[in-house]
Amino acid sequence: MRKLWIITVETFLRQIKSWSFLALVIAPFLILVLSFGLGYINYSSGESSNKIAVISEHSALRKQFIQQNKDEVKASVDSVKEAKKAVAENQITGYVIFDTTATRVSATFRGGQTPEVQIKNQVNSFIVQQQQQLNLANAKLSPDQAKALQQQPQYNEIVHKKTGRAKIARLISFWIMVVMVYMILITYSSITATEIASEKGTKIMKIIFSSTTAGKYFVGKILGVLLVILTQLVAYVVGGWSSYLVAQHMSFTKGFVNSNQDLISQVLSNLLSINLVFLFLGVILYTILSAFSGALVAKAEDATKAAQPATYLGMIAFFATFPFQNNADVMIVKIMSYVPFFSSYFMPLRIIDQSVNGWEVAISLLILIGSIILMVQYISRIYEGLMLQTDDTSFWKRFKRGISYQ
Amino acid sequence: MLEIKHLSKQFGDLQALNDVSFSVQSGQIMGLIGQNGAGKSTSFHSILNFLKYDGQISWNDAPITETVFNEIGYLPEERSLMPKLTVEQQIIYLARLKGKAAKEIRPKIDVWLDKFAVKGKRTDKIKDLSKGNQQKIQLICTLIHQPKLLILDEPFSGLDPVNVDLLEQAIFEAKKQGTAIIFSSHDMGNVETLCDQLIMLKAGRVVLSGRIEDVRSQFGKNHLFVTTNSWDYDRLIKLAHVTAVERLADHRYLLKLDDPAVGPDLFQQLTNGKYVEEFSQQAPTLDEIFKLKAGEPNA
Repeated sequence: MRKLWIITVETFLRQIKSWSFLALVIAPFLILVLSFGLGYINYSSGESSNKIAVISEHSALRKQFIQQNKDEVKASVDSVKEAKKAVAENQITGYVIFDTTATRVSATFRGGQTPEVQIKNQVNSFIVQQQQQLNLANAKLSPDQAKALQQQPQYNEIVHKKTGRAKIARLISFWIMVVMVYMILITYSSITATEIASEKGTKIMKIIFSSTTAGKYFVGKILGVLLVILTQLVAYVVGGWSSYLVAQHMSFTKGFVNSNQDLISQVLSNLLSINLVFLFLGVILYTILSAFSGALVAKAEDATKAAQPATYLGMIAFFATFPFQNNADVMIVKIMSYVPFFSSYFMPLRIIDQSVNGWEVAISLLILIGSIILMVQYISRIYEGLMLQTDDTSFWKRFKRGISYQ
Repeated sequence: MLEIKHLSKQFGDLQALNDVSFSVQSGQIMGLIGQNGAGKSTSFHSILNFLKYDGQISWNDAPITETVFNEIGYLPEERSLMPKLTVEQQIIYLARLKGKAAKEIRPKIDVWLDKFAVKGKRTDKIKDLSKGNQQKIQLICTLIHQPKLLILDEPFSGLDPVNVDLLEQAIFEAKKQGTAIIFSSHDMGNVETLCDQLIMLKAGRVVLSGRIEDVRSQFGKNHLFVTTNSWDYDRLIKLAHVTAVERLADHRYLLKLDDPAVGPDLFQQLTNGKYVEEFSQQAPTLDEIFKLKAGEPNA
């Protein structure tokens, strides 16, 4: 066990100390921070220039408008002179002058460009409201008449929000899931195959196999790579969760997060579920396949070619899910959700679609775990043969000699 | 003690080893010689369980399993290390796989680097070292955990005379500590200097085995080295029982005899009671025996 652990830790440390791993973990957050940053710059620069100033001789009127529309008004500007200067300096889009006579309320907008529709509506509704009050006062109505006139029409809106949102959530979850499986799988297939092929190329395996068994070494390597994958997943989960918490409190993302809370919760629950287990087990299976194909390479220079079988298989499974993203209940998806190498894509698709029951999920998981155990057992047995034969013959000859090495 | 009994190995139609038996005691050095493809590396691979074989291989009367691996130091024929690791990381990693703790090995590294006169620091990456220095690091990795059984496949190939000397000293040191050592070599000079015993393989069979002196004696003392001013080639070749004369240097000759027993008669004839600088009757060298045996038809 001690030697297995030494191999695991050595593989793990060698990988996580590399620049490529660091880049892999940091890149998504860097992109996130960058887009947040750009969004913030855009938001804060837009914030001042979209505002307007309000000027009026009637301070109560001005005060009332500002109170109702705090976010749209630059309150510090209160004279035409100051407003003109602020427009020239692009601090505000323009200014509104409110005026009122005995019978009419008026508002005049002045600026270099047409005001935003939202502002225009707010100004309009404000003066309509003020005009109504003025009209009521001028009409000298009895309280009952006044009350009758204040009656507003009623508009009702009934939308089946949950159904629509659930559908969107499923679609988003599906895409995040398959892209995540694909990216992690392709990355680690390549890392594992290259690592093993390079080791074989340096011919150090004879020294290693004079210290421990080939089976133990193979399992140690796989466990090392899995620890690296787990580290990356944990970094993503922790980083993603932190970003979510930050987004809840940042002024320019708060609104989006709050208005889409339902959607975000649904996507998160779709992702942080048994689907993660399928992702992880799928990556294990592909990693084992990559290790196997890495061991078939004859020279260190061919290390990059070693990942191809796993990469191509992963790509086929990835693209095969595309036609079924809105159609997860068809027979082919059902079949593929039990086939190792494909089930890590297709079963999450069915789980997200909620078109599968617990038994089916359990059976698919068992098949996946069983395949992993069988593959590890078989490759452990032939691994010594694969790693020790270094003759530069054709792929199939090497494969045949490797598995019959005795 | 390493004991090999009736070891045979077949690859398809090729009989790589055929009923090979020998043993190596603790504190003894065994040389395994033979032409390319004679079965030397296959013997080593069988000892290390890289192959399935027929016969019995045991270390201290027990089969060689993973538990025994910690007591073995193995230097394969192909030189190989992990190029991205530092010298220290490489040595410690391989020593830990041999069951040693890092803290036990770490203080020894500088001592071994000095012993093998490695040009480089423990923090240098393996890939930044010269080929010769990489080879020395690999030797250190083979020896630093103080193995009880040392298997060296062509350890001297590619080493310059100074480094050959360093390696010979290290092997003698291991022998003094009671290590059983088995190594293969094409250089009979190394074998003659180091070995207590030798085994020669030819086409998978043992064709020679025993102590070096005994093996040489089997071939009789039919080589006579003479350094004399009184005799020249034409006279020497006419002597009875002299089958060939080779001029080695000015006044120095090698006479090949068809009967080692004629030595005393020849001494009388050549010296005639007078001083000669050299009269030395010897068995053939290992090199000559190797060539002779390698040239014989297969049994």
